[in-house]
Amino acid sequence: MAGPLEQFEIHSKVPIEVAGYDISITNSAVSLAIALVILMVFMLGGMRKAALVPGRWQSSVEMCYEFIAKMLGDTAGHEARQFFPFVFTLFMFILTANLMGMVPWLHLFTVTSHIAVTFALAFFIFIGVTILGFIKHGIGFLKFFVPGDAPLALLPLLVIIEIVSYLSRPISLSVRLFANMVAGHTMLQVFGGFVVSLAAAGGIFALGSVLPFAFIVALTGLELLVACLQAYVFAVLTCIYLNDALHMH
Amino acid sequence: MPQLDPAVFLPQIFWLIVVFAALYIFIARNAAPKIADVLKKRQDRIADDLTAAEQLQAKAEEARIAFEKAQADARNNAASIVLSKRDEIKADTEAALQKLSEELNAKIDDAQKRIDEAKSKALSDVRDVATDVCSEIVSQISGLKLDKKSIEKVVKAKTDAAMKGDA
Repeated sequence: MAGPLEQFEIHSKVPIEVAGYDISITNSAVSLAIALVILMVFMLGGMRKAALVPGRWQSSVEMCYEFIAKMLGDTAGHEARQFFPFVFTLFMFILTANLMGMVPWLHLFTVTSHIAVTFALAFFIFIGVTILGFIKHGIGFLKFFVPGDAPLALLPLLVIIEIVSYLSRPISLSVRLFANMVAGHTMLQVFGGFVVSLAAAGGIFALGSVLPFAFIVALTGLELLVACLQAYVFAVLTCIYLNDALHMH
Repeated sequence: MPQLDPAVFLPQIFWLIVVFAALYIFIARNAAPKIADVLKKRQDRIADDLTAAEQLQAKAEEARIAFEKAQADARNNAASIVLSKRDEIKADTEAALQKLSEELNAKIDDAQKRIDEAKSKALSDVRDVATDVCSEIVSQISGLKLDKKSIEKVVKAKTDAAMKGDA
């Protein structure tokens, strides 16, 4: 019986080492590649006809596109249009990775259940947005940390709070996604374990295994929602950070 | 927790960068422009169709106004034709009636004249007969041979008086 956290273990499939650095192809890398293939097939397949009146598949692709385009426009304004491909890629990538983990039987590795992956994404966004802010506003971007209408006595404290909250952005962004994924998958595994143990115990216990099984069904629905929601939250926060960098407060 | 093992960080981050970069390039170069192009085309098409529909509607409205104008003109025209025809017919009828009544009057006058002629002729005949009868009666009764002229005078006076009495 596999422990609830075993599903998150990284196994090296093809060990590769370059200049002393380990860049082995792992189950995580395989999952990443599958996500890439799924997304390419989804988009190329949907847009293969690029019809004026879209079919179902094309409509799905267009819906994703328009959803993100609208979200980016609403939160970060027209100037942020140049970052659309990045936000779109980010959203589709996280959504696909999250949903891949919800497919039963295939045991696809959920790449977003690793803090290394989510933090890398969040840190890249953090650095990128900060650089963008300084490019856009020069040294004036530092005013971002100074609240406009605060009493002078409180100002030093408020500036420290602003800086800490700014610096904690990549942490909160990455941990939110990572923790949601880990919690969901762990819970499913734990209750799956209950079903197996109760069924194996036989007799009256076997009947009891129906309860955790029903719970898993409900939880799967919830986890599908969480998978979509967390991808959305990650993308929305990215848009908000972009907006902060482009327009300050 | 396997996620916290630093040994697994590097291979994951490396492949994440590779895959994410590949995906970004694919989407930015290929997918997103293609989708944007289709959406733009559709929007343009819809806008074009709406403009065309508006133009056609304006044309239809124009045609409707022209039709209504033509209809009103025709109605006015018809009314004036009816009016003028009515006057014409009325005048014709009056002329015909006038002519007819003139003819009838002429005929009546003619007839009256003939009646008068016949009447005076009959009257003179009656006088002749009365004169003859009178002279005959006088000659039979008295044996006198009266002057025809004096008898005629008496008869004429008597008949004139009778005719006056009649009238």
